[in-house]
Amino acid sequence: MSDILERPSAPPMQIDYKTRELTLKLVYYGPALSGKTTNLEALHELVADQHRGRLMTLETRDDRTLFFDLLPLSFETTSGLSVRIKLFTVPGQVMHDATRRLMLQGVDGVAFIADSQISETQSNLEAFRSMQRNLRDNGFVPEQVPLVIQFNKRDLPGVRSDAEIDEQAAHGSEPVFKAVALRGVGVLETLVGLFERTWSQLEAAHAIHEKFGVSPDDVAGEIRARLGLPGEAA
Amino acid sequence: VTFSPATLPTELAYGEVEGIESILDRESLTKVCRSIHDLFGLSIRLFSNSGALLADVHTEASICRYVNTLEAGRPACAEIVAQVKSVEADRDIVCHPCFTGAEYRVVPLRYQERLIGRAIVGPFLPVSRTQLPRSLVVLDDSIDKQLAAERLAELPRVREETVRRILDHLDKMLEMLVFASHRARLTSEMHVASVRESHRELAQKSERLEEAVERLRHLDELKSNFLATVSHELRTPLTSIIGYSEMLETGLAGDLTDEQHDFVRTIHQKGKQLLSLVSVLLDANRLERGLAALDFDCVDVAAVLRSVRETIRPAVDAKRIRLEIALEEESFVIVGDAIRIEQLFSNLADNAVKFTPPDGMIRLCARAITTNDFASGFGAVLLPRDRPAIEIRIDDSGQGIPPAERAKIFDAFYQVDGSKTRRHGGAGLGLSIVKSLVEAHGGSVAVDDSDLGGARLVVTLPVDGPLR
Repeated sequence: MSDILERPSAPPMQIDYKTRELTLKLVYYGPALSGKTTNLEALHELVADQHRGRLMTLETRDDRTLFFDLLPLSFETTSGLSVRIKLFTVPGQVMHDATRRLMLQGVDGVAFIADSQISETQSNLEAFRSMQRNLRDNGFVPEQVPLVIQFNKRDLPGVRSDAEIDEQAAHGSEPVFKAVALRGVGVLETLVGLFERTWSQLEAAHAIHEKFGVSPDDVAGEIRARLGLPGEAA
Repeated sequence: VTFSPATLPTELAYGEVEGIESILDRESLTKVCRSIHDLFGLSIRLFSNSGALLADVHTEASICRYVNTLEAGRPACAEIVAQVKSVEADRDIVCHPCFTGAEYRVVPLRYQERLIGRAIVGPFLPVSRTQLPRSLVVLDDSIDKQLAAERLAELPRVREETVRRILDHLDKMLEMLVFASHRARLTSEMHVASVRESHRELAQKSERLEEAVERLRHLDELKSNFLATVSHELRTPLTSIIGYSEMLETGLAGDLTDEQHDFVRTIHQKGKQLLSLVSVLLDANRLERGLAALDFDCVDVAAVLRSVRETIRPAVDAKRIRLEIALEEESFVIVGDAIRIEQLFSNLADNAVKFTPPDGMIRLCARAITTNDFASGFGAVLLPRDRPAIEIRIDDSGQGIPPAERAKIFDAFYQVDGSKTRRHGGAGLGLSIVKSLVEAHGGSVAVDDSDLGGARLVVTLPVDGPLR
């Protein structure tokens, strides 16, 4: 019997004790055309069949996301814990703010997909502001929601330099990833980074280790291995 | 009044399917099953997880009809049907044999890694079955073996490999149907939820606006009352003190001794100081209540500085201070709260006038710069390194601020000259108000030595406003 555990400022997570099943909701947020759907498409290509379901896209005729995209992933850990991850995108266009707010309900972690092009800096900031507002409206404290930031479209001309991003990242508190989602570069790293950050926060809030006897490192390590990523960087 | 959006049902928030019977169209399901039945002669029944029959396409096999005419056949047949229905197939296809030698297959239907239902396919005859099985022969004494063999042979005969491929095909078709139906369901539900949420937001905004208008009207009344009380209770006696002491000082009530003259002058000066202190305290009080609700819009900082210059001109002229203003551009437009920005620079300018001696000099400069100074904290990485900003410097030829004091001057009620005999009045709130205002705009304020000999206050404000 699944129940939604709700605590102020702790992420809600779906836990089914009977079947030892955890369901995480991870949302890809960001400005219009920053590559949120492309991230999910790349993950759909990269993740082995047995770990992923069908990619569901709800889009308009001009290929813009209307409500959301959904890619379900699932991993059976060797300890018998079943981890289901629901990856959602939100529509980026400004007019869909109500939908974006709704999609953040029950979120466990957010990947903010920023467009690396210098010309898109303001759109990134606007989207980041809207994300904080929408999280707050849903009763979250934005600073406490597990967050990673991805700078996508690294292969385009006129983008912010690696050095600049690294320098700015040192001022911030969240992990930053660089990606070319269209070619699948950096998307797995972003997903795993978000998963690890989310999991450690869930661990702190729900003591998963104690209840299910699995350590966060083991689960993260297994998922890394299943996704074909090398072990955690030292 | 709750301001958060309506809670989505779990099914929608997580993109789950709670029961396929609610999303699948039974007619389409039946058509899919019928196409397979027509091609291969296989009977198919589909059940949801909760046991609801979703599709049933079958032809009663002649062997079954025959068995049901036998006295022992009817209960045996019912028993097999009950067994097949209760088979628990979770992940793999389960084969269930019948005493007639026919077989059933129970196919688990899975979606998004969860069991959503099952398909029961059969009865059919495996290719390997060539003789009547013993279980059928011994079923009833009255069995006609010849007839039973003929009827059994009429069952569809399918090779194992073909069964596997048919079931695989059926599974894929059903999964596709579930997926398409689920997508259609989510789309329509999200559509309704989004429209409802937009409506809620608009309704709430108009409700808030009405409340705000009402509150403002109320506050306006309170403020008028409060200010009236304060001016009456504090300012009226102060005005008398100032007025009478001034009259005494000018000799209107007769000549004073030098000592009396000094005393009266002190009373007069301190009275004026107290009056300005009351004004500052009122300002700080108002600021505290108002910071949470800054009204961001486009503000021309150059225009604000020119207006501040006019405001301080009488005080500057009285002290014969030279006031220079150097604006690099005609206008500097930023995102900010116009009233607060004016208050910010008024405070700084007042401070400069206060600390500059007679015949001294004050200089206001503003220029456009790019900076990375205030990029820190939540989401800082998203800020460009060269963020456009306006830098405003206020230089004076006063006593300056010693380096050791510079970190503390922005604290509320702090005074560099903390002695009881300090020369300059004030509540020590001016710079703390400045700092709160600058930070509310996402900017920074710092103090340095001025080339004019006194202090230089440097305010940097981002052009595009604060990040949050």
